[in-house]
Amino acid sequence: MTGIRRKLPLVLLEAFLLLLSLVVIVPFLIMIFGSFKSSLEATSFDLSLPSVWMWQNYRQVMVEGKMVHSFLNGMLITGAAVILNILVTSMASFVIARKRTAVSEFLYYFFFIGMIAPMQLIPTIRLFKELNLYGTYLSVILIYCTINMAFSIFLYTGFIRTTIPQALDEVAMLEGASLMRIFFTIVFPLIKPINITILIIVFMNIWNDINIPIFFLSDPDKWTMPLSVYQFFGMYSGSNWNLVFANLVLTALPVILLYLFCQRFIVSGLTTGAVK
Amino acid sequence: MKNGIRLYSYRLVIPALILYCVFFILPTITGLYYSFTDWSPMNDAILFNGLDNFRYIFQNEVTRLAIKNTLIYAVIVVIFKNALGLLLAVALNAGLKTRNLLRAVFFAPSIVSTIVIGLVFIPILHPEGLLNRLLAGIGLESLGQYWLSDAKIVIFTIAGVSIWQWAGYHMVIYLAGLQGISNDYYEAAKIDGANGFKRFIHITIPLLSASLNINLILSLIGGIRVFSEVYALTNGGPGNASQVLSTFILVLFGEGRWGLGTALNTVLFVFVAIVAIPLLHKMRKQEVEV
Repeated sequence: MTGIRRKLPLVLLEAFLLLLSLVVIVPFLIMIFGSFKSSLEATSFDLSLPSVWMWQNYRQVMVEGKMVHSFLNGMLITGAAVILNILVTSMASFVIARKRTAVSEFLYYFFFIGMIAPMQLIPTIRLFKELNLYGTYLSVILIYCTINMAFSIFLYTGFIRTTIPQALDEVAMLEGASLMRIFFTIVFPLIKPINITILIIVFMNIWNDINIPIFFLSDPDKWTMPLSVYQFFGMYSGSNWNLVFANLVLTALPVILLYLFCQRFIVSGLTTGAVK
Repeated sequence: MKNGIRLYSYRLVIPALILYCVFFILPTITGLYYSFTDWSPMNDAILFNGLDNFRYIFQNEVTRLAIKNTLIYAVIVVIFKNALGLLLAVALNAGLKTRNLLRAVFFAPSIVSTIVIGLVFIPILHPEGLLNRLLAGIGLESLGQYWLSDAKIVIFTIAGVSIWQWAGYHMVIYLAGLQGISNDYYEAAKIDGANGFKRFIHITIPLLSASLNINLILSLIGGIRVFSEVYALTNGGPGNASQVLSTFILVLFGEGRWGLGTALNTVLFVFVAIVAIPLLHKMRKQEVEV
């Protein structure tokens, strides 16, 4: 009897939450079903299944939306920015974590400003114009690398301080290895778990962003997927919502796949600092 | 091992420091200067114009609306993302059979680009869209709205979509905090006769302070810096009814009013600093205490 009384609220709670999860699921379903409908059928914007599943929508949108091109743009920009970011911030964090001086403390907080402060967009544009880099892939890569540095340094420093014993570097130092060598041959392999976490989270931040390309890439040929889909929406939402939906599905797909395979790392990265 | 410490050379910090100083700190500082000028591609020279830009920002109707919208938006999303995130976390911390599935579902919207979310919601929020049809279907037709075209409610609608997208993200952070709380506290409180509500207020909330702080900072700063949600759903419209600071900076940039746009960026910077510094200070103090 007490068993039922204790379990009943839980069952009700579960039923309520499952119902609530529909609020999250339904918009995704509208998008997915809509992407397989004919253009006329798609304008119902409801939960009905397509009368005929039109896979050819995807073929059409890949071609007309130049989606392979924007996918590759995203891979190039995001990939280069993430690699550069990991390279420079892991090195910096190693020294900041080991030195416990006023200077390293200052550096830590100095970098931390970048996590909070919004960047000055128009002056940054001017800077890149003067460097003759405005509108290039390189400019966007450098910006993304820089604005994500604070987050990476924050995670790396915490990880190195708590999990990589200093005795390791000291032994290598006694044997005469240079600091650079110690870092790349001994420390870097040991910080692999946090590397993957940072790689994935910074990757998703950059991949999903539109703010930077709007200001820094005027040439549509260089646009990444989220910005391309917005332009596609502008051109097709009048008559072809089925194609807009297909484009949205394809734009969301890379991060959803990444999430399915790397869920553990994403959650551990987000929750650093949530527990003492 | 004092010698060892000295061997850690700051040379390894230099690449990161150069990138950060050149591409972030430098524009931040020059931006402060440009905020007090009439900088524009239409002018040959950049002339100092004192406080003109800031006077304009606080007197002009649209910029005032953008400031007001930004603040309204930030307050709403902070309250609802955290309240919903916390409730979901507490509910999903109970031993439900489908908890892993539910956690994944609620978290999923936060990994998708805000542009995608915004564009999916445009037809749903259409006057004849799913939301209004659903309300009519359950006899609440009177609650139907012109969600994105009524100037009076559009900013609340955009905040609602953002809450939909991010509540699950904050839930995950709260869950991590909840899982760090030992069950012993609750057992002891039960023996002392504390009811569920009292246990929540006196045990859960204080022991969640680390995740609470992180969530407050993330949602508040994200709220003040809001850009993509507005850009995707309304691009500041109807008229300028849903302009926020970040979207209006883009408008001013497009119009070639660079000095004014930079000044508005500086206002954004100051707003973020005003809310972030006390919160970060509080966080550090708590770290020292525990």
